[in-house]
Order: sequence, then C-alpha cells, then structure tokens
Amino acid sequence: MLSDLLTEERILFSPSELTWREAVAGVARPLLAAGDITPDYVRAMLDSIAAGGTYIDLGHGIALAHARPENGAVRTAMSMLRLPAPAPLLDDPLHAVDLYFCFAAVDAEAHMSAMASLARILSDAGTRQALRDAASAPEVIKLITQFEETR
Amino acid sequence: MKFLAMCSTGLGSSFMVRMNIETIVRELGLADVAVEHSDISSAGPGSADVFFVAKDLQDAAQGLGDVVVLNSIIDMDELRDAVKSAAARHGLL
Repeated sequence: MLSDLLTEERILFSPSELTWREAVAGVARPLLAAGDITPDYVRAMLDSIAAGGTYIDLGHGIALAHARPENGAVRTAMSMLRLPAPAPLLDDPLHAVDLYFCFAAVDAEAHMSAMASLARILSDAGTRQALRDAASAPEVIKLITQFEETR
Repeated sequence: MKFLAMCSTGLGSSFMVRMNIETIVRELGLADVAVEHSDISSAGPGSADVFFVAKDLQDAAQGLGDVVVLNSIIDMDELRDAVKSAAARHGLL
C-alpha cells in the first residue's frame, strides 16, 4: 500500500524554486539516504529524462520519476517533493511540474503493484487536488490513509 | 475488441492507463472489450483495435491504426471521453 511506502521522512516540501535536475535529485534524496536506491538509479532517472523521457509527466503538474528495477533499485520505495513553483521537465513549459514523485521497485510485480496504488489515488480528481493543496507531510499521509480506507 | 495502452517500457504509465480504461469500460458497461498494456516497441498494427498513448509517444505510434493520444494519463474525464469516442467509432455504443 502507498501509505506503507510514503512515510513522513520521504515527503518533502522545497522552500526554494528548483530546476528539473535539482528536483529529481531532491525527490530521490530520501531514498538514497535510506539505501532504497543506489546513486546509479538517480543517474538513470536523469539520463532517461534528458534523453526525452518526458513520459514521466503524468499531467496536472505531477511527474513520477523512475528508472528500471535493474538500474539500482534496492528496495521498493517511494518519495514525494512539492515545489513552490514548477520545474518544467527539460525546461519545456508544456511539462510544468511542481509535484514530483520518485519511485523504485525491485521487480516488475512490485513495480506494477505500487504503480497501481499511485494511479488510483492520482486519478481521483478530489484527492489529487487535495494532495496538490497539502502543505505538510502529515497532511499528505492523512489524505493517503483516508483514501485507502474508503476503498 | 481490444484496447491497448502503451508506454515506452510497458511497466509504468501504460499500466496506469490500462487500469483506468478498465474502470471506464466497466462504468460504461461495454461488453467484449479486452484491455491490455504493453511497451510500444512490441506492438504492431494487428496488436489491438484501439491504441492509447501519452502525448510523448504520439509520433512513435503513427501507423499503428486507431491511435488515441492522451494529454494526461491520470485525467479520468479526458480518458472517459476518449474511451466513449473509441467505443462509438467501433460500434460499441
């Protein structure tokens, strides 16, 4: 479940504006610190975006940065970084993102299960807006928990 | 009738879109629609009747046939309209 993955220390709010590279490195930082991913994983995410990988843009200002399990995912993990202003992917205004998620999975099955949880919550228009409006980690956790309890 | 959601890896966004299409197919009560997901490189014109991609794969999906391009892969309203139109095009609605 998402609430098991997105723990308080993995939910960040940036006080300052960032570039997309800083945002991807920033959202990955808690996972790197916990040993959930290796530095290679961060490089793989940055490289795949630089190579045109704006597919991580989910729409509604939200992006899901991720690489493949074999790129350095140690444990299945997720983190979130909210920015005060958009850090557009590849500096393209069409990909204005101010809510970054980072995600690592150890195998295809874990990948799809966590992806499914995130898809359910982000595709719910009310919860998605509430997540965008949330101003603290406990608020985000409460939203996710409430969403999971009603399903 | 087969709807196929595609992304570059076949692991991530295509799976999200597939789940959301399945929800909408149930909502609309469409019978005989199979929904699957895959990576775009393994899909050919015969892989499905309707192909769904995010806009970054718009060019790569050219030539597959009936291709639906989504602006957002988490926008249920956009997707619902897209699925309804596709169903209508293929005589399901």
